Amino acid sequence: MQNESAEAGDIPPGNVATSILTAPPNDSSDPPRTRPRSRRMTKAKRRNLRLGLMFISPWIVGLVVFIGYPVVYSISLSFTRYSGMGAPTWVGAQNYITALTDPLVSKAASNTLFYAMIAVPLALVIALVLAIAMNQNVREVALYRTIFYAPSLIPAFAMSFIFIVFLNPQFGVFNQIMNVFNEGNVNLLGDPTGVKIAIVLITQFGAGNAALIFLAGLRNVPKTLYEAARVDGAGPLRQFFSITLPLLSPVILFNLITGVSGALQVFTEAYVITNGTGDPDAGALFYMMYLYRNAFGFAELGYASALAVLLFLVGLGLALAIFRFSRRLVNYDVEAS
Amino acid sequence: MIDRRRFLTGAVGSAAAGLGLSSCARIPEDADNVIRYWGMDDANTDKDEAVREAYLQTDAGQGVEIHIDQVPVSSEADMSHIITAVRGGTAPDLWWTGRFTSVQAASIGLLEPLDPLIERYEDVSVEEFKKQWIQFAVDEVTYDGQLYGLPTDTDARGLMYNEDVLRESGIDLDMFDPEQHVLTWDELREAARQITEVDGNGDYTRFGFAPWLHEGWAYTWGFGLGAQAYDNDTATVTLDSPEWKAVYELYADWAEEFEYSKVDVFFATYQPPNAPPSQTAMFSGRLGIQSTGPWQLQANEKYAPDLPLKYTWLPVVNDGDPTYTWSGGFALAIPSGANITKTLWDYMKFHAGFEGQSIILPPLGNVPTNLRAIEERKYNPKAEIFRQMLPDSIARPPLPVGQAIWDTLDRGKESVSIGSRTPQEAIETNQAFVEPKMDLFEGYKMPDTYGQPNEVPES
Repeated sequence: MQNESAEAGDIPPGNVATSILTAPPNDSSDPPRTRPRSRRMTKAKRRNLRLGLMFISPWIVGLVVFIGYPVVYSISLSFTRYSGMGAPTWVGAQNYITALTDPLVSKAASNTLFYAMIAVPLALVIALVLAIAMNQNVREVALYRTIFYAPSLIPAFAMSFIFIVFLNPQFGVFNQIMNVFNEGNVNLLGDPTGVKIAIVLITQFGAGNAALIFLAGLRNVPKTLYEAARVDGAGPLRQFFSITLPLLSPVILFNLITGVSGALQVFTEAYVITNGTGDPDAGALFYMMYLYRNAFGFAELGYASALAVLLFLVGLGLALAIFRFSRRLVNYDVEAS
Repeated sequence: MIDRRRFLTGAVGSAAAGLGLSSCARIPEDADNVIRYWGMDDANTDKDEAVREAYLQTDAGQGVEIHIDQVPVSSEADMSHIITAVRGGTAPDLWWTGRFTSVQAASIGLLEPLDPLIERYEDVSVEEFKKQWIQFAVDEVTYDGQLYGLPTDTDARGLMYNEDVLRESGIDLDMFDPEQHVLTWDELREAARQITEVDGNGDYTRFGFAPWLHEGWAYTWGFGLGAQAYDNDTATVTLDSPEWKAVYELYADWAEEFEYSKVDVFFATYQPPNAPPSQTAMFSGRLGIQSTGPWQLQANEKYAPDLPLKYTWLPVVNDGDPTYTWSGGFALAIPSGANITKTLWDYMKFHAGFEGQSIILPPLGNVPTNLRAIEERKYNPKAEIFRQMLPDSIARPPLPVGQAIWDTLDRGKESVSIGSRTPQEAIETNQAFVEPKMDLFEGYKMPDTYGQPNEVPES
C-alpha cells in the first residue's frame, strides 16, 4: 500500500514543482514587511550577487537567446509576410485574419483539442497509477521504478515506429486481439479518428516523467495522516480519496498544466506516422504540424509565426483558466514538514 | 584545492574551446576548385559518385574536389534543410532537387538564376542553350522568365500489371498490350472486379486496382480529364472547375464499389507503411494493376526479376481518346550564397548534361531529359514505353504555390475517397485554400510553352 510507505518529511531533492506548488499562495500570517534601512547593498552582498549571477549566467543566456529572442522575433514576424529569405514585408494583422478563416487551422485545432481532451486526463491517471506502483514498500522497488520509467526513455520517433508495427493489420498485436473477438482486420492508422487514438496511446508511454513528479508528491504526504485515518477506521480507498488525492492536488495541477501545454504541441508522433502529411483525410494534422508545413513547406514563416503566437495565447489562456478553476480544488494546506 | 575564480575561468575556457571545436567540424574549404554537392538519396549515391569519377577524368576535372553529401528529408515538400543552410551560410554549391518545388524555391530567393551564367560562360544564347533539354522539364525550372536549374531525369505515369495475375483472373491480355489498345475506365473497372478476391471476413486477399492508390494523384487523372490548376491567360486559380469535380467524382465512384477502408486494410496488410521495398502487394502477387512510372523498373529488376510485370497507358474515358500522362523529375540547382565559379558551372553542365545523364539514367530506370541522351537510348530499354509518352506529357504547373496546390488536391482525394467530403466541397475547399496564396503573385504567368507538345527525338 502506497500510504504505508509514505515517509513524512522525505522531500526528494530537486522536486521544484512540488515545493513551489505546495507553498501557500497567500500566507496572511507573515509579519508586516519593514522597509529596509538602506537600499545600498553591502560589498559582500554585491559580491555574492555577482557570483550568483555568474553561476546562473549559462541559464540566463540560454533563456534570452533561445527563448526570449525567438519569442519576440516570432511576434514581430507574425505581422509580416516572410519566406525566410530576403526582407519581411509588413502586412499588419493580415496573417491573424487569414488564420481565423483558414479551414485547415480549425481542422488542425479541433484535431489537437480532441487529442488533448483524451491524452491529458489519460496520462494523469496512468502516471498516478505508475507513481503508486513505484511507491510500494517492497524490497525490489528500485527495480520496479526502473521498469515503469524505462518506456519514457524511448524517443518519441522510435516509439512511433514500434506502434506502426503493433498496429499492422496483418501481424500487429492490436489486430491479433481484435481477431479474438472475431473482428475483421482494422487499420487504425488508416482512419482519421483511429490515427488520433493511436497517437494518444503512443504518447502514454511517456507517462513515466509525470509519474516521477507524482511519486515525489506521494512521498511528501505526511504519514501521520494515514495513521490517524486508520485509527478512525478508514480503508485504503477512503484514504486514497480523502488524503492522497487532495494532498496531491498541487502536483496534479502541475502535471495538468504541463500536460495541456505538451498536448497543444503534439508533433513528433504524428509527423513520423503520417510522414509529415497529417493524413488520412487530415485526421492527424495537428496544429504544430500545420504550423510546420506553413513554415517549411509553403515558406510562409510570417503566417506560421502568427499561428505560433495564437497557440501561445491559447496555451496561456488555458493555463490561466485551469489555475482559476482549480483554486477551490487544490489543497495547499499541508506540508510534509 | 581549486578556488572559485579559477574554476569559473576554467569552465568558461572549456566551454569556449568546445564551441570552437564543434564549429570547426568537417566543412569543406570554400575554394574555387571545391564543389560542395547535396546529391541524390542514399540508395543512389553510387550514381552521383560515378558521375564525379567520370568528371575528374576529364581535362576540366583536373584538380577539382567534389564533396558529395546526402541530406535526408522526410519529403520533397520539406525545405527546412535548405532554408536553414542558406540562412546559416552553409548552403551547398550544388543541390539535387525536385523540379516541382524549384519555382517555389526560386520565388523566395532560395536559388540563383542560371541565365547570367549561361550568358557569361556559353557561346550560345540562353534560348539555344536550353534546347538541350526536353521542353516541359525546362518550363518546370523557369520562374519569371529565368532558368533556375538544369533538368536531370524525368518520368511518366502508366499502368503496371502482373500478367500472371491477369491471366489467372481470365482477363484478355491483349487489352493491356500498349501496342494494341488503350484501356478505358470501364474496361479497367471490369478487370479490377475480376482480379479482386475476398475472404470470409470480407477482407481483400487479392486486389485489382483503385484510382487513389500509388500514382493516382488528382493531377494524374486531372490531366486526362482536362483539368488545369491555373489559367495562364486570366492569371487565375481554376481548382473549382467542372473538370476537377469530375476527377473527384471518379474517386468517389470507385470508392463506392471498393471501400476505402477495406482497400486501406489490404495495403496495410500486404504492403505496410515503411515496409522494405521488396515487400509490396504487387511483388507478392496480390495486386493486379497499379499506376506507376519508370523508376519502378529498378525495384522490379532487383526484387522481382522473374515476375511478368508489364506497362501500358493510363486509362481514357472513351475508346479512341488521346493518351495522356504527366512527368516529374529532378534538377540541379545552385542555392543562394553558393560559391559560383566556372568550375561549378562546368561540373553542373556535365552532371545534368549528356555525359552525366548517360551514366545515371540506365541504372536509375527513369528517362533522360537531355535530348541527345534520349536519342542515343541512354536509359533502361524497358522504359521505352515511357519514352514514347514524353511528347504528349506535361509537367505539373510551375507555380510559386505549387506545393500548396499539391497538398490540397491530395487532401481532397483522401476526403472524397473516404467519404468525408463531396466532390463539390472538395473543389470549393481547394480553391479557397490556394486562391489567397496565389493572390500574392498577381498576374503571374507560367512559360508560354507550358502544356504544349514536346519535341522528343525517336530513339
